[in-house]
Amino acid sequence: MTAIAVASAQSRDFFSVLAPGGKRVLFALAAVAVCLLFAFPVFWLALTSLRPGTGVYYVHRGTEFTVDNFHEVLSQEIVLKALFNSFIISTLATVLSLGVTMTSGYMLSRFKGPIPNAWFSLIYIFRCVPYVAWVLPLYFVTQRLNIFDTYWGLLLPHVAVHICFFSWIMKGFFDGIDPSMEYAAMIDGCSRWGAFWRVAVPSAVPGLTALAILCWLYTWNEFLFALILTSHETPILTVVMAQFVHELGMEWHLMSATAVIALVPALIVTLFGQKYVIRGLKV
Amino acid sequence: MAEVILTNVQKAYGEVLAVKELSLDIKDHEFVVLVGPSGCGKSTTLRMIAGLEEITSGTIAIGGRVVNDLQPRDRDIAMVFQNYALYQHMSVRDNLAFGLRNRRVPESEIGAAVARAAKMLSIEPLLERRPRQLSGGQQQRVALGRCIVRNPKVFLFDEPLSNLDAQLRAQMRLELKELRQRVATTSIFVTHDQVEAMTLGDRIVVMKDGVVQQVGTPLDLFRRPATRFVAGFIGSPSMNFLDMQLAAEEDQFVLHGRGFAFRIPNGRFAALGSHVGGVVCVGVRPQHVRLGTPANAGEIGLRGTVAVTEQLGDEQILAVRLGDNELRIAGVDPDLTLPAGTAVEAVVAAGNLHFFQGEGARITG
Repeated sequence: MTAIAVASAQSRDFFSVLAPGGKRVLFALAAVAVCLLFAFPVFWLALTSLRPGTGVYYVHRGTEFTVDNFHEVLSQEIVLKALFNSFIISTLATVLSLGVTMTSGYMLSRFKGPIPNAWFSLIYIFRCVPYVAWVLPLYFVTQRLNIFDTYWGLLLPHVAVHICFFSWIMKGFFDGIDPSMEYAAMIDGCSRWGAFWRVAVPSAVPGLTALAILCWLYTWNEFLFALILTSHETPILTVVMAQFVHELGMEWHLMSATAVIALVPALIVTLFGQKYVIRGLKV
Repeated sequence: MAEVILTNVQKAYGEVLAVKELSLDIKDHEFVVLVGPSGCGKSTTLRMIAGLEEITSGTIAIGGRVVNDLQPRDRDIAMVFQNYALYQHMSVRDNLAFGLRNRRVPESEIGAAVARAAKMLSIEPLLERRPRQLSGGQQQRVALGRCIVRNPKVFLFDEPLSNLDAQLRAQMRLELKELRQRVATTSIFVTHDQVEAMTLGDRIVVMKDGVVQQVGTPLDLFRRPATRFVAGFIGSPSMNFLDMQLAAEEDQFVLHGRGFAFRIPNGRFAALGSHVGGVVCVGVRPQHVRLGTPANAGEIGLRGTVAVTEQLGDEQILAVRLGDNELRIAGVDPDLTLPAGTAVEAVVAAGNLHFFQGEGARITG
């Protein structure tokens, strides 16, 4: 009897488990409604990007569609440069952040004493500072260091923010890995560093992959730092997008086309990475 | 192969001394078991030998070389951990080869060594699997293989059987004993299970609160426990203890318990003489008490009532009430029906009595 009950429970689908009986239909409708709520702006964005400049205020009534908007934005050098810069900044920020966060999270997880405690406190204090409060000091610091409107000027603040946020998550990943493995590696001929690189890090790969994806998406979509810390030399896609609203008017059709272009890499990363994110964050 | 010598080794965590003045001489090829309750310092001692914990004071020598300042990798030891500590991202083959690769052994030799160890432990079909695809027993074998393959000077075992179920634990115990006959490396085995200690060890070190209570062969510990703690810890079911007032009468000692008393000849227990008028702790193993009446002058008769019976199938263990005390009797005929409250007579040979100073040392006689 129990075996039958278990088998039938396993065979039940997602909806019937969450909302058994007659509530299934209602639950399914609610789920579809939520999905539509999130999908609708994206759909509207895509629709706007395909309308001519004169038709963007009548998207729902228009019948004329065009891909000229895409041609136009892709023919602008600043958009192409911004695409390239955003990709490079996102990738470098991810690599640098993970490099530091791995060691930082490992230290917080494995070592006790004044240095890890001080580091933990420092991270905590930085996390307590509102995000927007960092912007003005960072502007002056980057000006002073002559890195304003350069890769480094944007990379370093991003990496700093990521370290503060992701060190905690990384600590959680390493907490879930049995330290005996590292001890075994140390007895098997590794130094402490060797045990970290050859045993602890490979064991944390699911978590690292999840963080890499989140880190890349976060930097790709980031607007505030990019707006304040960059200018014409290092255009960033999110800022370039916003610049279609200017004193001469609002070019919604071009902004939408750029946004759709920006959406593609993010969508690829999300589709590729979602299973890793789910697996990694479950560790 | 090597001897391991610990001299006045201490480990302090702040103000707390986890291991106090530990000195131990482990001979080449010897299998020594460190046993004791949780927090007694046995695992800390093992980790100090491995180099995973720093030593506060004292020296540790392996194979005649003081290793206090050597990294774990330079001590030429191998260790099996409680939770196996297999490298989850590697296959069983790579787990076994890891230590040899770190030592830059040629791949051809590594292959041969891995094959030899795998054959010895019957894990050849598992070589391409990942650790998480193995059962607990198989993982334990791989962990053993990882040690054997390196042919180190010393094997260290940190409660390697405690994660296994009772049946598998008994099986692995046997396999470890068989393995010892083939690989006679100096071994130090930590456990809290006295059965493992008794069955595996050439010598046993009993520890409590960071202090060595007794070092000896399993039979030494069972027959002549040095302290009341060792007497209670070694042996199953554990020893009965009765706190009794000691008096002398002519050529006999009289021991007064709460609600019962018995006599023993003083010639045989001369060492008790200095404790007359005081309280001594009398210890007797449940296996050394039987139901019946004394057959000769060397036996002591005790009368009591059955409090509880534990049926084990091949024997019963009785808890018999003697005045305010309780005495456990092992090896009772399982077919005997003895409801609670039944009056029984028990007998114990005087030679099987142990005497301790209260909670402390054995009164030797």
